[in-house]
Amino acid sequence: MKTENVALDVSDLPVSELDHRSLVWWGNVLMMVIETTVFALLVASYLYVRMNFGHWPPPQPNRFPPLAAEYPSIPMGLTTVIPLLISLIPMIWADRAALKLKANAVRWGLFLSILAGGVIAYLRFRELRYLPFDWDDNAYASIVWTLCGMHLMHIVVATCENIVMFAWAVVHSLDKKHARDVRVNAVYWYWVVGIWVPLFCIIYVGPRI
Amino acid sequence: MRLVEAPDQTRRSVDEKNLHHVWSRVEGVIGWLCTTNHKEISLRYIITAFGFFCAAGVLALLMRLQLSVPNNRLIGPDLYNQLFTVHGSTMMFLFAVPVMEGVGLYLVPLMIGTRNVAFPRLNALGYYVYLAGGLVLYGGLFCNIGPDTGWFSYVPLAGPDFSPGKRVDFWAQMITFTEISALIAGIEIIVTVFKQRAPGMSIDRIPIYVWAVLITAFMVIFAMPAVMLVSTMLAMDRMSHVATHFFNVAEGGDALLYQHLFWFFGHPEVYIIFIPATGFVSTIIGTFSRRPLVGHSALVLSLIATAFIGFGLWVHHMFATPVPILGRSFFTGASMLIAIPSGVQIFCWIATLWTGKPVWKSPLLFVLGFFAIFVLGGLTGVMLASVPLDLQVHDTFFVVAHFHYVLIGGAVFPLFGAFHYWFPKWTGRMLDEGIAKLTFWLMFIGFNLTFFPMHQLGLEGMPRRVYTYHANLGWNGLNMAASIGAGVMGIAVLCFLYNVLKSRRSGVIAGNNPWQAPTLEWATTSPPQPYNFLYQPTVNSMHPLWFDRPNQPFVVGLKTDRREVLTTTLLHAVPEHIHELPEDSCWPILLTVVISGTLLGVIFNPWPFVIGMIPMYIVLFAWFWRDIDLKHLGRAK
Repeated sequence: MKTENVALDVSDLPVSELDHRSLVWWGNVLMMVIETTVFALLVASYLYVRMNFGHWPPPQPNRFPPLAAEYPSIPMGLTTVIPLLISLIPMIWADRAALKLKANAVRWGLFLSILAGGVIAYLRFRELRYLPFDWDDNAYASIVWTLCGMHLMHIVVATCENIVMFAWAVVHSLDKKHARDVRVNAVYWYWVVGIWVPLFCIIYVGPRI
Repeated sequence: MRLVEAPDQTRRSVDEKNLHHVWSRVEGVIGWLCTTNHKEISLRYIITAFGFFCAAGVLALLMRLQLSVPNNRLIGPDLYNQLFTVHGSTMMFLFAVPVMEGVGLYLVPLMIGTRNVAFPRLNALGYYVYLAGGLVLYGGLFCNIGPDTGWFSYVPLAGPDFSPGKRVDFWAQMITFTEISALIAGIEIIVTVFKQRAPGMSIDRIPIYVWAVLITAFMVIFAMPAVMLVSTMLAMDRMSHVATHFFNVAEGGDALLYQHLFWFFGHPEVYIIFIPATGFVSTIIGTFSRRPLVGHSALVLSLIATAFIGFGLWVHHMFATPVPILGRSFFTGASMLIAIPSGVQIFCWIATLWTGKPVWKSPLLFVLGFFAIFVLGGLTGVMLASVPLDLQVHDTFFVVAHFHYVLIGGAVFPLFGAFHYWFPKWTGRMLDEGIAKLTFWLMFIGFNLTFFPMHQLGLEGMPRRVYTYHANLGWNGLNMAASIGAGVMGIAVLCFLYNVLKSRRSGVIAGNNPWQAPTLEWATTSPPQPYNFLYQPTVNSMHPLWFDRPNQPFVVGLKTDRREVLTTTLLHAVPEHIHELPEDSCWPILLTVVISGTLLGVIFNPWPFVIGMIPMYIVLFAWFWRDIDLKHLGRAK
């Protein structure tokens, strides 16, 4: 080989990767950063509005009995926290299976995750109904409803994404590119679950301390 | 991965033919709408943003016409409110941010030696959503539902009690459109710079402009969510079906919360506009001084410091509100602190010019104009950082003068420098140097004639946002001067447009590297082919076209029958894996149609949000599933 005019042959490099080396993985991370910022700003707003009230949660003069300031019920809150944490199991299973390109396990993992997502979305609706205030009662109520509602939207969106992955895995089986997508989706679901833990503490536990 | 002999001429022409076939879009309207070529999309960003710049400029001229003489009855107070609101909103959301991101999306892939951005279809979506947002705002203005509460739309004025009707809702929804677009562009730039740099371009060899765009993208990611959130909260407060109370004082909401959230975005926004402009300045100064920049590392670190400190300044927009004394002192300190990294940059630039052999071409002229104007704007900035002075001139023309010196000086002059600098790369032809110099002088004189008198008007007590004033207040002469200056600036922009149209057709052919610049975008043809480089380059220095050996190896082995790019490691840019990019796609524009319909519907009723999610999901499902083969729809190029 001449030392003049050489080229770097990269044809033996792998096509597509399943982890942080892939571009989509980074895109997803940045998406999560954006959404975490949104939640952080909402929490900041929650704490800012808190300064306007002597009692927290604020009393509701229009209700009977007039000065009842009920805390949101922790057991009711746990009805979504615990299922969210349990839903990690099938998602991790699908994630691990995708790493080994096992199509069948991925299908089952995704199927169970979709089921879990559906159940959790229903439980969240129920949780919202049992909150002791409506979103248009006062500023506190507006922010709590927005936090819960926004998180509900994330549960629905992530589950819809799981449905797409599941459909693909059933129709086309699993290649490396789509195994990567399953894994990226799993990371997103971990985030959806993970972000709710501090939010739960702020909404349900925070007012009591 | 190994070194091989470079391909011979036969092989090169075969590769060239194949790449051309794979990367070109199909002809016709469908191909045009569905393209995912970052260069085409970026030029649309730039042209659209420039269109909005001209539109907002016309609004500014109308305002100056109204203010040129006292007691003028040309424009009434209601229309005047809409004019300054749409002028400000356009310049911030539809011009400054998109144009900077547009130029960045064009240049970054070329400067780092790759073929396209990381997510080409998402990039197309970003552009179309931005365009839709702009059309919504101007559609509103022409139907007399243009927003009229200032570009910041403060509550309680913008709340449901004091602004009934839909004007503010159009503003809030325009924000949603443009911020979706800005966030998409931010993600594109970060991932592209992180993972697609040419082998050898470790982080210490990234060109300064790419640094600037990268840092800006990070700022976008942390700042833009705040304005999206706050405008959504405002829209929810205003909507009678929802009627939340975030900002309703009677129900424990807080008007200052709005200001905090808005300026948590609004101050970083200034740097989102300014940092890419410093990237232009550094690049132009480096090229025309014919030497590497003095203090490259100091410049990069200054940019990073600016980005961090930029998030700690927002309360200085709120000195006239009851914020705690300690808070005011902190934000005064932080506002003065940010002068340090800006100062470091200015000194590095001066040292580069001083020790180099400057070539006085028009791009450099605009940079010198930037120095003069921006330093003046910076000086009034330091003045405004002190609370007592700020309270004195709050809401007067002094503030208008200050931020136009900062924004036009800090962003528009470097941007025009950048237009003159990269025009040959974009079109293959040079701009006419004589007309360019005329443009510069008209703009420089017009700008100072317009805005310098405003300092004095502000100190004399003339408030902002008034549609007229009495004749005996002593403001007549200076106002007339400012209006004449605005006209001169208008002529400067027309000069520039004439130059562009004329040079595009009959300018001197530029060649690959007309300025003998050092960065990779000049290593390929002008304008670049759809695939940017026949073979992706590797680099061995920060200034590959100045210091790399002519036989620096290039990358071979990527398939030429599909759109493949090489990805490299984040820090050291070692080749890592091959990534296949998608073909052109019809889904971005279809998704834009669905998103636009949904967001427009939400102005009037909350249910379109829920209903709109269904077609959105269907389109996204299809987007994921497969691309329709456009080559069957149109004839291949």
